[in-house]
Amino acid sequence: MSIERIKAVILQELFITKRSLEVIMDLFFFSVVSILVFGLVSVFISQSAGVRTAQLLLIGLLLWEIIRITQYSMSVGALWNIWSRNLSNMFIAPLTLAEYMIAQMISGIIKSLFIFLLISTITILIFHFNIFNLGLLNLAFFFMNLTIFSWSLGIVLLGVIFRFGTRIQALAWGTVFIFQPLTAAFFPVKILPSFLQNIAYLFPPTYVFEAARGALSNQSINWQYMLISLLENLIYFAASLWFFNLMFKKSKQTGQFSRNEG
Amino acid sequence: MENILEVKDLVKNYGQFCAVDKISFNVPKGKVIGFLGPNGAGKTTTIHMLLGIALSNGGEIKYFGRDFYKNKSACLQRINFASSFNTLQGRISVYENLLVFAKLYAVKNPKQKIANLVKYFEVEDLLDQRFWDLSAGQKTRVNLIKSLINDPELILMDEPTASLDPDIADKTLSLIEDLRKSKKLSILYTSHNMNEITRICDEVIFIDHGKIVAQDTPLGLTKRLSKSTLRLTFEDKKNALEKFLKAENQKFTKINKNTVVIKLNEKEIPKIIFGISQAGVWITDIEVEKPTLEDVFLQIARGKKYVH
Repeated sequence: MSIERIKAVILQELFITKRSLEVIMDLFFFSVVSILVFGLVSVFISQSAGVRTAQLLLIGLLLWEIIRITQYSMSVGALWNIWSRNLSNMFIAPLTLAEYMIAQMISGIIKSLFIFLLISTITILIFHFNIFNLGLLNLAFFFMNLTIFSWSLGIVLLGVIFRFGTRIQALAWGTVFIFQPLTAAFFPVKILPSFLQNIAYLFPPTYVFEAARGALSNQSINWQYMLISLLENLIYFAASLWFFNLMFKKSKQTGQFSRNEG
Repeated sequence: MENILEVKDLVKNYGQFCAVDKISFNVPKGKVIGFLGPNGAGKTTTIHMLLGIALSNGGEIKYFGRDFYKNKSACLQRINFASSFNTLQGRISVYENLLVFAKLYAVKNPKQKIANLVKYFEVEDLLDQRFWDLSAGQKTRVNLIKSLINDPELILMDEPTASLDPDIADKTLSLIEDLRKSKKLSILYTSHNMNEITRICDEVIFIDHGKIVAQDTPLGLTKRLSKSTLRLTFEDKKNALEKFLKAENQKFTKINKNTVVIKLNEKEIPKIIFGISQAGVWITDIEVEKPTLEDVFLQIARGKKYVH
Protein backbone atom coordinates (compact mmCIF):
# COMPACT_ATOMS: atom_id res chain seq x y z
CA MET A 1 0.00 0.00 0.00
CA SER A 2 1.48 3.34 -1.07
CA ILE A 3 0.23 6.63 0.36
CA GLU A 4 1.92 8.45 -2.54
CA ARG A 5 -0.14 6.56 -5.13
CA ILE A 6 -3.34 7.18 -3.17
CA LYS A 7 -2.44 10.87 -3.10
CA ALA A 8 -1.78 10.77 -6.85
CA VAL A 9 -5.29 9.49 -7.61
CA ILE A 10 -6.82 12.09 -5.26
CA LEU A 11 -4.73 14.76 -6.98
CA GLN A 12 -6.07 13.67 -10.36
CA GLU A 13 -9.62 13.84 -8.96
CA LEU A 14 -8.92 17.36 -7.73
CA PHE A 15 -7.59 18.42 -11.14
CA ILE A 16 -10.62 16.92 -12.92
CA THR A 17 -13.08 18.52 -10.48
CA LYS A 18 -11.39 21.88 -10.84
CA ARG A 19 -11.38 21.80 -14.65
CA SER A 20 -14.63 20.02 -15.43
CA LEU A 21 -17.82 22.02 -15.82
CA GLU A 22 -19.81 18.79 -15.68
CA VAL A 23 -18.50 17.95 -12.20
CA ILE A 24 -19.13 21.48 -11.00
CA MET A 25 -22.70 21.31 -12.36
CA ASP A 26 -23.40 17.80 -11.05
CA LEU A 27 -22.02 18.42 -7.59
CA PHE A 28 -21.99 22.07 -6.62
CA PHE A 29 -24.66 23.62 -8.84
CA PHE A 30 -27.18 20.79 -8.43
CA SER A 31 -26.74 20.72 -4.65
CA VAL A 32 -27.03 24.48 -4.25
CA VAL A 33 -30.10 24.75 -6.49
CA SER A 34 -31.72 21.79 -4.71
CA ILE A 35 -31.24 23.33 -1.28
CA LEU A 36 -32.62 26.65 -2.52
CA VAL A 37 -35.73 24.94 -3.94
CA PHE A 38 -36.22 22.75 -0.86
CA GLY A 39 -35.65 25.76 1.36
CA LEU A 40 -38.35 27.74 -0.38
CA VAL A 41 -40.72 24.76 -0.29
CA SER A 42 -40.00 24.40 3.43
CA VAL A 43 -40.87 28.06 3.98
CA PHE A 44 -44.15 27.46 2.17
CA ILE A 45 -44.88 24.25 4.10
CA SER A 46 -44.04 25.83 7.42
CA GLN A 47 -46.98 28.21 6.94
CA SER A 48 -49.50 25.36 6.75
CA ALA A 49 -47.91 22.23 8.25
CA GLY A 50 -45.67 23.87 10.80
CA VAL A 51 -41.99 24.63 11.14
CA ARG A 52 -41.00 21.12 12.27
CA THR A 53 -42.35 19.47 9.14
CA ALA A 54 -40.49 21.99 7.02
CA GLN A 55 -37.27 21.31 8.90
CA LEU A 56 -37.67 17.56 8.36
CA LEU A 57 -37.60 18.23 4.65
CA LEU A 58 -34.38 20.25 4.93
CA ILE A 59 -32.73 17.60 7.13
CA GLY A 60 -33.67 14.98 4.53
CA LEU A 61 -32.07 16.90 1.68
CA LEU A 62 -28.91 17.90 3.55
CA LEU A 63 -28.23 14.30 4.53
CA TRP A 64 -29.32 12.92 1.18
CA GLU A 65 -26.67 14.99 -0.57
CA ILE A 66 -23.98 13.12 1.40
CA ILE A 67 -25.18 9.87 -0.22
CA ARG A 68 -25.55 11.32 -3.70
CA ILE A 69 -22.21 13.08 -3.82
CA THR A 70 -20.12 10.28 -2.31
CA GLN A 71 -21.66 7.67 -4.62
CA TYR A 72 -21.31 9.95 -7.64
CA SER A 73 -17.67 10.57 -6.82
CA MET A 74 -16.94 6.84 -6.52
CA SER A 75 -18.65 5.74 -9.72
CA VAL A 76 -18.24 8.70 -12.04
CA GLY A 77 -14.60 9.22 -11.01
CA ALA A 78 -13.67 6.07 -12.93
CA LEU A 79 -15.84 7.08 -15.89
CA TRP A 80 -13.82 10.28 -16.44
CA ASN A 81 -10.79 8.09 -17.01
CA ILE A 82 -12.66 5.55 -19.15
CA TRP A 83 -14.00 8.33 -21.37
CA SER A 84 -10.47 9.69 -21.75
CA ARG A 85 -9.06 6.19 -22.43
CA ASN A 86 -6.80 6.69 -19.46
CA LEU A 87 -8.03 4.08 -16.98
CA SER A 88 -5.75 1.33 -18.27
CA ASN A 89 -2.83 3.78 -18.13
CA MET A 90 -3.57 4.15 -14.43
CA PHE A 91 -3.62 0.41 -13.85
CA ILE A 92 -0.52 -0.13 -15.99
CA ALA A 93 1.23 1.97 -13.35
CA PRO A 94 2.00 0.14 -10.10
CA LEU A 95 -1.34 1.35 -8.69
CA THR A 96 -3.19 -1.43 -6.88
CA LEU A 97 -6.94 -1.83 -6.85
CA ALA A 98 -7.04 -1.22 -3.09
CA GLU A 99 -5.11 2.04 -3.46
CA TYR A 100 -7.43 3.19 -6.24
CA MET A 101 -10.55 2.39 -4.20
CA ILE A 102 -9.23 4.08 -1.06
CA ALA A 103 -8.36 7.18 -3.09
CA GLN A 104 -11.86 7.31 -4.56
CA MET A 105 -13.40 6.87 -1.09
CA ILE A 106 -11.32 9.69 0.36
CA SER A 107 -12.12 11.87 -2.63
CA GLY A 108 -15.83 11.15 -2.07
CA ILE A 109 -15.59 12.17 1.60
CA ILE A 110 -13.78 15.40 0.77
CA LYS A 111 -16.36 16.39 -1.83
CA SER A 112 -19.40 15.45 0.22
CA LEU A 113 -18.05 17.13 3.36
CA PHE A 114 -17.27 20.30 1.45
CA ILE A 115 -20.69 20.45 -0.18
CA PHE A 116 -22.48 19.45 3.02
CA LEU A 117 -20.84 22.38 4.80
CA LEU A 118 -21.63 24.69 1.89
CA ILE A 119 -25.34 23.87 1.69
CA SER A 120 -25.67 23.73 5.49
CA THR A 121 -24.31 27.26 5.59
CA ILE A 122 -26.86 28.31 2.96
CA THR A 123 -29.71 26.88 5.03
CA ILE A 124 -28.43 28.70 8.11
CA LEU A 125 -28.04 32.02 6.32
CA ILE A 126 -31.13 32.00 4.11
CA PHE A 127 -33.62 29.67 5.78
CA HIS A 128 -32.51 30.06 9.40
CA PHE A 129 -32.23 26.35 10.00
CA ASN A 130 -29.08 25.04 11.61
CA ILE A 131 -28.55 21.30 11.14
CA PHE A 132 -25.68 21.44 13.61
CA ASN A 133 -28.32 21.84 16.31
CA LEU A 134 -28.82 18.07 15.94
CA GLY A 135 -25.50 17.71 17.73
CA LEU A 136 -22.02 17.25 16.32
CA LEU A 137 -21.70 13.67 17.53
CA ASN A 138 -25.05 12.84 15.99
CA LEU A 139 -23.95 14.41 12.70
CA ALA A 140 -20.67 12.51 12.83
CA PHE A 141 -22.53 9.21 13.13
CA PHE A 142 -24.95 10.20 10.38
CA PHE A 143 -22.09 11.21 8.11
CA MET A 144 -20.17 8.01 8.79
CA ASN A 145 -23.09 5.68 8.14
CA LEU A 146 -24.29 7.50 5.03
CA THR A 147 -20.74 7.61 3.66
CA ILE A 148 -20.11 3.90 4.15
CA PHE A 149 -23.42 3.09 2.45
CA SER A 150 -22.55 5.38 -0.47
CA TRP A 151 -19.13 3.77 -0.79
CA SER A 152 -20.77 0.35 -0.98
CA LEU A 153 -23.23 1.50 -3.61
CA GLY A 154 -20.45 3.25 -5.55
CA ILE A 155 -18.22 0.18 -5.41
CA VAL A 156 -21.02 -2.07 -6.73
CA LEU A 157 -21.76 0.33 -9.59
CA LEU A 158 -18.06 0.64 -10.37
CA GLY A 159 -17.83 -3.14 -10.55
CA VAL A 160 -20.79 -3.29 -12.94
CA ILE A 161 -19.24 -0.56 -15.13
CA PHE A 162 -15.88 -2.35 -15.23
CA ARG A 163 -17.61 -5.62 -16.08
CA PHE A 164 -20.13 -4.45 -18.68
CA GLY A 165 -18.57 -1.24 -19.94
CA THR A 166 -19.90 2.22 -20.57
CA ARG A 167 -23.13 0.98 -22.16
CA ILE A 168 -24.60 0.84 -18.65
CA GLN A 169 -22.94 4.05 -17.46
CA ALA A 170 -26.30 5.75 -16.83
CA LEU A 171 -26.57 3.59 -13.71
CA ALA A 172 -23.77 5.66 -12.20
CA TRP A 173 -26.10 8.65 -11.95
CA GLY A 174 -29.54 7.10 -11.72
CA THR A 175 -29.33 4.12 -9.39
CA VAL A 176 -28.92 6.13 -6.20
CA PHE A 177 -32.36 7.68 -6.60
CA ILE A 178 -34.03 4.29 -6.08
CA PHE A 179 -32.91 4.64 -2.47
CA GLN A 180 -34.52 8.03 -1.98
CA PRO A 181 -38.00 6.57 -1.37
CA LEU A 182 -36.71 3.22 -0.11
CA THR A 183 -34.72 4.80 2.71
CA ALA A 184 -37.45 7.30 3.56
CA ALA A 185 -35.16 10.26 3.11
CA PHE A 186 -37.88 12.93 3.20
CA PHE A 187 -40.67 11.30 5.21
CA PRO A 188 -41.06 8.95 8.17
CA VAL A 189 -40.80 5.23 7.39
CA LYS A 190 -44.35 4.69 8.70
CA ILE A 191 -45.66 6.55 5.63
CA LEU A 192 -44.45 3.69 3.43
CA PRO A 193 -46.71 0.67 2.73
CA SER A 194 -45.96 -2.05 5.28
CA PHE A 195 -44.06 -4.34 2.87
CA LEU A 196 -41.86 -1.41 1.84
CA GLN A 197 -41.25 -0.56 5.49
CA ASN A 198 -39.65 -3.99 5.94
CA ILE A 199 -37.51 -3.42 2.88
CA ALA A 200 -36.58 0.09 4.04
CA TYR A 201 -35.09 -1.26 7.24
CA LEU A 202 -32.72 -3.40 5.19
CA PHE A 203 -30.85 -0.23 4.21
CA PRO A 204 -28.55 1.62 6.63
CA PRO A 205 -29.59 5.17 5.60
CA THR A 206 -33.17 4.49 6.77
CA TYR A 207 -31.93 4.35 10.37
CA VAL A 208 -29.96 7.54 9.88
CA PHE A 209 -32.92 9.48 8.48
CA GLU A 210 -35.21 8.19 11.23
CA ALA A 211 -32.64 9.04 13.90
CA ALA A 212 -32.12 12.51 12.43
CA ARG A 213 -35.84 13.22 12.51
CA GLY A 214 -35.90 12.02 16.12
CA ALA A 215 -32.93 14.22 17.00
CA LEU A 216 -34.84 17.28 15.90
CA SER A 217 -36.91 17.03 19.10
CA ASN A 218 -33.95 16.35 21.34
CA GLN A 219 -30.27 16.05 20.58
CA SER A 220 -29.98 12.56 22.04
CA ILE A 221 -28.20 9.91 20.01
CA ASN A 222 -30.24 6.91 18.92
CA TRP A 223 -27.52 4.38 19.69
CA GLN A 224 -29.64 1.43 18.67
CA TYR A 225 -30.31 2.82 15.21
CA MET A 226 -26.72 3.92 14.75
CA LEU A 227 -25.47 0.46 15.70
CA ILE A 228 -27.90 -1.36 13.39
CA SER A 229 -26.98 1.04 10.60
CA LEU A 230 -23.27 0.43 11.16
CA LEU A 231 -23.66 -3.36 11.26
CA GLU A 232 -25.71 -3.36 8.07
CA ASN A 233 -23.13 -1.07 6.52
CA LEU A 234 -20.29 -3.42 7.39
CA ILE A 235 -22.15 -6.29 5.73
CA TYR A 236 -22.93 -4.22 2.64
CA PHE A 237 -19.39 -2.90 2.44
CA ALA A 238 -17.82 -6.38 2.68
CA ALA A 239 -20.31 -7.69 0.10
CA SER A 240 -19.60 -4.77 -2.25
CA LEU A 241 -15.85 -5.41 -2.11
CA TRP A 242 -16.39 -9.10 -2.82
CA PHE A 243 -18.71 -8.22 -5.71
CA PHE A 244 -16.29 -5.66 -7.11
CA ASN A 245 -13.38 -8.10 -7.03
CA LEU A 246 -15.52 -10.67 -8.80
CA MET A 247 -16.56 -8.16 -11.48
CA PHE A 248 -13.02 -6.82 -11.93
CA LYS A 249 -11.57 -10.31 -12.31
CA LYS A 250 -14.32 -11.25 -14.76
CA SER A 251 -13.69 -8.03 -16.68
CA LYS A 252 -10.01 -8.90 -17.08
CA GLN A 253 -10.83 -12.51 -17.98
CA THR A 254 -13.27 -11.54 -20.71
CA GLY A 255 -11.10 -8.68 -21.98
CA GLN A 256 -13.86 -6.17 -21.21
CA PHE A 257 -11.57 -4.09 -19.01
CA SER A 258 -9.30 -3.20 -21.91
CA ARG A 259 -12.23 -2.94 -24.35
CA ASN A 260 -13.92 -0.36 -22.09
CA GLU A 261 -11.70 2.23 -23.65
CA GLY A 262 -11.84 0.88 -27.18
CA MET B 1 22.18 -12.10 -22.86
CA GLU B 2 20.02 -10.91 -19.98
CA ASN B 3 16.30 -11.11 -20.68
CA ILE B 4 14.11 -8.29 -19.45
CA LEU B 5 10.92 -10.12 -20.38
CA GLU B 6 10.39 -13.86 -20.68
CA VAL B 7 7.10 -15.25 -21.96
CA LYS B 8 6.53 -18.98 -21.84
CA ASP B 9 3.54 -20.92 -23.19
CA LEU B 10 1.19 -17.96 -22.76
CA VAL B 11 -2.46 -18.80 -23.44
CA LYS B 12 -5.60 -16.69 -23.66
CA ASN B 13 -9.02 -18.13 -24.38
CA TYR B 14 -12.26 -16.25 -24.87
CA GLY B 15 -14.76 -19.07 -24.34
CA GLN B 16 -14.04 -21.62 -27.05
CA PHE B 17 -11.91 -19.17 -29.05
CA CYS B 18 -8.19 -19.37 -28.48
CA ALA B 19 -6.80 -15.85 -28.99
CA VAL B 20 -3.25 -16.64 -27.88
CA ASP B 21 -2.02 -20.18 -28.18
CA LYS B 22 1.03 -21.11 -26.12
CA ILE B 23 3.39 -18.44 -27.35
CA SER B 24 6.92 -18.12 -25.99
CA PHE B 25 9.47 -15.40 -26.60
CA ASN B 26 12.00 -13.20 -24.83
CA VAL B 27 12.90 -9.53 -24.93
CA PRO B 28 16.64 -9.18 -24.22
CA LYS B 29 18.11 -6.10 -22.57
CA GLY B 30 18.64 -3.20 -24.95
CA LYS B 31 16.89 -4.86 -27.89
CA VAL B 32 13.87 -3.74 -29.89
CA ILE B 33 11.59 -6.63 -30.71
CA GLY B 34 8.90 -6.14 -33.33
CA PHE B 35 5.63 -7.88 -32.60
CA LEU B 36 3.68 -8.21 -35.81
CA GLY B 37 0.63 -9.88 -37.17
CA PRO B 38 -2.60 -9.25 -39.04
CA ASN B 39 -5.60 -7.74 -37.27
CA GLY B 40 -7.03 -10.22 -34.78
CA ALA B 41 -3.80 -12.24 -34.65
CA GLY B 42 -3.52 -11.84 -30.86
CA LYS B 43 -0.96 -9.01 -30.56
CA THR B 44 -3.03 -6.62 -28.49
CA THR B 45 -4.38 -9.43 -26.30
CA THR B 46 -0.79 -10.50 -25.62
CA ILE B 47 0.23 -6.95 -24.74
CA HIS B 48 -2.75 -6.57 -22.44
CA MET B 49 -1.70 -9.75 -20.63
CA LEU B 50 1.87 -8.48 -20.42
CA LEU B 51 0.53 -5.32 -18.77
CA GLY B 52 -1.80 -7.16 -16.40
CA ILE B 53 -5.03 -5.63 -17.69
CA ALA B 54 -6.13 -8.99 -19.15
CA LEU B 55 -5.74 -12.31 -17.37
CA SER B 56 -4.07 -15.26 -19.06
CA ASN B 57 -5.44 -18.78 -19.01
CA GLY B 58 -2.02 -20.37 -18.77
CA GLY B 59 1.67 -19.88 -19.19
CA GLU B 60 4.20 -17.68 -17.53
CA ILE B 61 5.26 -14.02 -17.75
CA LYS B 62 8.51 -13.00 -16.09
CA TYR B 63 9.98 -9.51 -15.89
CA PHE B 64 13.56 -9.22 -14.68
CA GLY B 65 13.42 -12.91 -13.78
CA ARG B 66 10.44 -12.44 -11.45
CA ASP B 67 6.94 -13.85 -11.89
CA PHE B 68 4.72 -10.98 -13.07
CA TYR B 69 1.50 -11.98 -11.32
CA LYS B 70 3.25 -12.53 -7.99
CA ASN B 71 5.27 -9.28 -8.19
CA LYS B 72 2.95 -7.10 -10.21
CA SER B 73 3.59 -3.70 -8.63
CA ALA B 74 7.35 -4.22 -8.53
CA CYS B 75 7.42 -5.25 -12.21
CA LEU B 76 5.10 -2.45 -13.36
CA GLN B 77 7.34 0.05 -11.57
CA ARG B 78 10.15 -0.83 -14.01
CA ILE B 79 8.21 -0.98 -17.29
CA ASN B 80 5.83 1.32 -19.14
CA PHE B 81 3.48 1.45 -22.08
CA ALA B 82 2.88 3.82 -24.99
CA SER B 83 0.04 3.50 -27.43
CA SER B 84 -1.77 5.69 -29.87
CA PHE B 85 -5.00 4.08 -28.67
CA ASN B 86 -4.65 5.01 -25.00
CA THR B 87 -4.53 8.67 -24.20
CA LEU B 88 -4.11 10.63 -21.03
CA GLN B 89 -6.87 12.38 -19.09
CA GLY B 90 -8.26 14.85 -21.60
CA ARG B 91 -9.82 17.34 -19.22
CA ILE B 92 -6.67 18.23 -17.35
CA SER B 93 -3.46 19.86 -18.53
CA VAL B 94 -0.38 18.11 -19.84
CA TYR B 95 1.56 19.10 -16.71
CA GLU B 96 -1.20 17.87 -14.39
CA ASN B 97 -1.33 14.55 -16.23
CA LEU B 98 2.41 14.09 -16.04
CA LEU B 99 2.49 15.09 -12.38
CA VAL B 100 -0.16 12.45 -11.56
CA PHE B 101 1.84 9.74 -13.34
CA ALA B 102 5.11 10.90 -11.78
CA LYS B 103 3.50 10.45 -8.38
CA LEU B 104 1.96 7.09 -9.34
CA TYR B 105 5.47 5.91 -10.22
CA ALA B 106 6.94 7.54 -7.09
CA VAL B 107 9.35 9.62 -9.18
CA LYS B 108 11.80 11.58 -7.06
CA ASN B 109 11.74 15.30 -7.85
CA PRO B 110 8.83 15.00 -10.32
CA LYS B 111 8.91 18.65 -11.39
CA GLN B 112 12.53 18.39 -12.53
CA LYS B 113 11.86 15.07 -14.25
CA ILE B 114 8.92 16.53 -16.16
CA ALA B 115 10.95 19.62 -17.08
CA ASN B 116 13.77 17.45 -18.47
CA LEU B 117 11.46 15.25 -20.51
CA VAL B 118 9.37 18.06 -22.01
CA LYS B 119 12.59 19.78 -23.02
CA TYR B 120 13.89 16.60 -24.67
CA PHE B 121 10.64 16.18 -26.59
CA GLU B 122 10.37 19.91 -27.30
CA VAL B 123 6.89 20.32 -25.86
CA GLU B 124 7.59 22.87 -23.11
CA ASP B 125 4.97 25.21 -24.51
CA LEU B 126 2.24 22.57 -24.19
CA LEU B 127 2.45 22.08 -20.44
CA ASP B 128 -0.54 24.28 -19.60
CA GLN B 129 -2.74 23.04 -22.43
CA ARG B 130 -5.49 20.53 -21.84
CA PHE B 131 -4.53 17.13 -23.23
CA TRP B 132 -7.64 16.93 -25.44
CA ASP B 133 -6.68 20.20 -27.16
CA LEU B 134 -3.42 18.75 -28.50
CA SER B 135 -2.86 17.55 -32.08
CA ALA B 136 -2.25 13.84 -32.77
CA GLY B 137 1.50 14.39 -33.02
CA GLN B 138 1.61 16.36 -29.78
CA LYS B 139 -0.45 13.69 -28.00
CA THR B 140 1.99 11.03 -29.18
CA ARG B 141 4.92 12.97 -27.78
CA VAL B 142 3.19 13.54 -24.45
CA ASN B 143 2.27 9.83 -24.34
CA LEU B 144 5.93 9.01 -24.90
CA ILE B 145 6.89 11.34 -22.06
CA LYS B 146 4.43 9.55 -19.81
CA SER B 147 5.94 6.23 -20.85
CA LEU B 148 9.42 7.48 -19.86
CA ILE B 149 8.46 9.19 -16.61
CA ASN B 150 9.65 6.27 -14.46
CA ASP B 151 12.89 5.61 -16.39
CA PRO B 152 11.58 2.22 -17.52
CA GLU B 153 13.86 -0.59 -18.57
CA LEU B 154 11.24 -1.90 -20.98
CA ILE B 155 8.54 -0.08 -22.93
CA LEU B 156 5.70 -1.84 -24.65
CA MET B 157 4.68 0.23 -27.65
CA ASP B 158 1.41 -0.47 -29.43
CA GLU B 159 1.43 1.29 -32.79
CA PRO B 160 2.82 4.52 -31.32
CA THR B 161 2.95 6.23 -34.71
CA ALA B 162 -0.51 5.25 -35.95
CA SER B 163 -2.51 8.26 -37.13
CA LEU B 164 0.60 10.43 -37.45
CA ASP B 165 1.61 12.08 -40.72
CA PRO B 166 4.88 10.76 -42.24
CA ASP B 167 6.93 13.72 -41.03
CA ILE B 168 5.81 13.50 -37.40
CA ALA B 169 6.02 9.69 -37.53
CA ASP B 170 9.62 9.96 -38.74
CA LYS B 171 10.49 12.41 -35.96
CA THR B 172 8.83 10.14 -33.40
CA LEU B 173 10.82 7.17 -34.66
CA SER B 174 14.02 9.17 -34.47
CA LEU B 175 13.19 10.01 -30.86
CA ILE B 176 12.59 6.34 -30.12
CA GLU B 177 15.91 5.44 -31.76
CA ASP B 178 17.69 8.11 -29.69
CA LEU B 179 16.09 6.89 -26.51
CA ARG B 180 17.05 3.35 -27.23
CA LYS B 181 20.68 4.34 -27.72
CA SER B 182 20.93 6.80 -24.85
CA LYS B 183 19.01 4.82 -22.24
CA LYS B 184 19.65 1.26 -23.48
CA LEU B 185 15.92 0.66 -23.47
CA SER B 186 14.30 -2.62 -24.36
CA ILE B 187 11.19 -2.20 -26.48
CA LEU B 188 8.43 -4.53 -27.58
CA TYR B 189 7.05 -2.75 -30.62
CA THR B 190 3.88 -3.41 -32.59
CA SER B 191 3.12 -1.65 -35.83
CA HIS B 192 1.55 -2.25 -39.20
CA ASN B 193 4.20 -0.13 -40.84
CA MET B 194 6.82 -2.55 -42.12
CA ASN B 195 9.34 0.18 -42.95
CA GLU B 196 9.26 1.27 -39.31
CA ILE B 197 9.80 -2.28 -38.15
CA THR B 198 12.70 -2.79 -40.55
CA ARG B 199 14.19 0.50 -39.38
CA ILE B 200 14.13 0.06 -35.63
CA CYS B 201 13.73 -3.62 -34.74
CA ASP B 202 16.57 -6.02 -34.00
CA GLU B 203 14.27 -8.98 -34.22
CA VAL B 204 10.73 -9.58 -35.37
CA ILE B 205 8.11 -11.97 -34.07
CA PHE B 206 5.22 -12.76 -36.40
CA ILE B 207 2.03 -13.93 -34.77
CA ASP B 208 -1.00 -15.31 -36.58
CA HIS B 209 -4.11 -16.99 -35.21
CA GLY B 210 -2.56 -16.71 -31.76
CA LYS B 211 0.62 -18.58 -32.67
CA ILE B 212 4.14 -17.43 -33.43
CA VAL B 213 4.70 -18.31 -37.08
CA ALA B 214 8.11 -16.74 -37.60
CA GLN B 215 10.85 -15.15 -35.54
CA ASP B 216 14.09 -13.70 -36.90
CA THR B 217 15.86 -10.47 -37.74
CA PRO B 218 14.07 -8.36 -40.37
CA LEU B 219 16.79 -9.28 -42.87
CA GLY B 220 16.65 -12.95 -41.94
CA LEU B 221 12.91 -13.03 -42.45
CA THR B 222 13.05 -11.45 -45.88
CA LYS B 223 15.88 -13.77 -46.93
CA ARG B 224 13.62 -16.71 -46.24
CA LEU B 225 11.45 -15.48 -49.06
CA SER B 226 13.76 -16.77 -51.75
CA LYS B 227 12.26 -15.11 -54.81
CA SER B 228 13.45 -11.70 -55.91
CA THR B 229 12.06 -9.85 -58.89
CA LEU B 230 14.45 -9.00 -61.75
CA ARG B 231 13.11 -6.54 -64.29
CA LEU B 232 15.15 -6.28 -67.47
CA THR B 233 14.80 -3.81 -70.30
CA PHE B 234 16.69 -4.68 -73.47
CA GLU B 235 17.14 -3.81 -77.14
CA ASP B 236 16.45 -6.35 -79.89
CA LYS B 237 17.25 -10.07 -79.83
CA LYS B 238 14.08 -10.89 -77.93
CA ASN B 239 14.17 -14.46 -79.21
CA ALA B 240 17.72 -14.99 -77.96
CA LEU B 241 16.69 -13.77 -74.50
CA GLU B 242 13.63 -16.00 -74.33
CA LYS B 243 15.62 -18.96 -75.57
CA PHE B 244 18.25 -18.37 -72.87
CA LEU B 245 15.69 -18.04 -70.06
CA LYS B 246 13.89 -21.20 -71.16
CA ALA B 247 17.18 -23.07 -71.32
CA GLU B 248 17.91 -21.88 -67.78
CA ASN B 249 14.43 -22.99 -66.72
CA GLN B 250 13.51 -19.49 -65.53
CA LYS B 251 9.88 -18.40 -65.39
CA PHE B 252 9.36 -14.91 -66.80
CA THR B 253 6.61 -12.50 -67.76
CA LYS B 254 6.75 -10.23 -70.80
CA ILE B 255 5.69 -6.73 -69.80
CA ASN B 256 6.15 -5.33 -73.30
CA LYS B 257 8.32 -6.15 -76.30
CA ASN B 258 11.45 -4.83 -74.57
CA THR B 259 10.83 -5.67 -70.90
CA VAL B 260 10.61 -8.94 -69.00
CA VAL B 261 10.12 -9.67 -65.32
CA ILE B 262 11.81 -12.75 -63.90
CA LYS B 263 11.09 -14.27 -60.49
CA LEU B 264 14.24 -15.96 -59.31
CA ASN B 265 16.52 -16.65 -56.40
CA GLU B 266 18.67 -13.68 -55.45
CA LYS B 267 21.87 -15.73 -55.86
CA GLU B 268 21.05 -16.48 -59.50
CA ILE B 269 20.81 -12.85 -60.58
CA PRO B 270 24.50 -12.28 -61.57
CA LYS B 271 24.58 -15.56 -63.50
CA ILE B 272 21.41 -14.74 -65.43
CA ILE B 273 22.50 -11.21 -66.31
CA PHE B 274 25.89 -12.47 -67.41
CA GLY B 275 24.27 -15.26 -69.47
CA ILE B 276 21.88 -12.87 -71.21
CA SER B 277 24.77 -10.58 -72.12
CA GLN B 278 26.73 -13.54 -73.43
CA ALA B 279 23.73 -14.43 -75.61
CA GLY B 280 24.23 -11.06 -77.32
CA VAL B 281 21.26 -9.25 -75.78
CA TRP B 282 21.89 -5.57 -75.11
CA ILE B 283 20.48 -4.84 -71.60
CA THR B 284 19.57 -1.17 -71.17
CA ASP B 285 18.09 -1.23 -67.65
CA ILE B 286 18.16 -3.56 -64.68
CA GLU B 287 15.87 -3.37 -61.64
CA VAL B 288 16.09 -5.80 -58.74
CA GLU B 289 13.33 -5.90 -56.16
CA LYS B 290 14.29 -7.87 -53.09
CA PRO B 291 11.56 -9.28 -50.80
CA THR B 292 10.57 -6.89 -48.04
CA LEU B 293 9.10 -7.44 -44.63
CA GLU B 294 5.83 -6.38 -46.16
CA ASP B 295 6.01 -9.41 -48.48
CA VAL B 296 6.55 -11.62 -45.45
CA PHE B 297 3.61 -9.97 -43.71
CA LEU B 298 1.36 -10.40 -46.74
CA GLN B 299 2.30 -14.06 -47.08
CA ILE B 300 1.34 -14.65 -43.47
CA ALA B 301 -1.77 -12.49 -43.53
CA ARG B 302 -3.04 -14.22 -46.67
CA GLY B 303 -2.55 -17.60 -45.08
CA LYS B 304 0.23 -18.80 -47.37
CA LYS B 305 2.72 -21.27 -46.00
CA TYR B 306 5.69 -19.44 -44.61
CA VAL B 307 9.21 -20.83 -44.72
CA HIS B 308 10.44 -21.40 -41.15
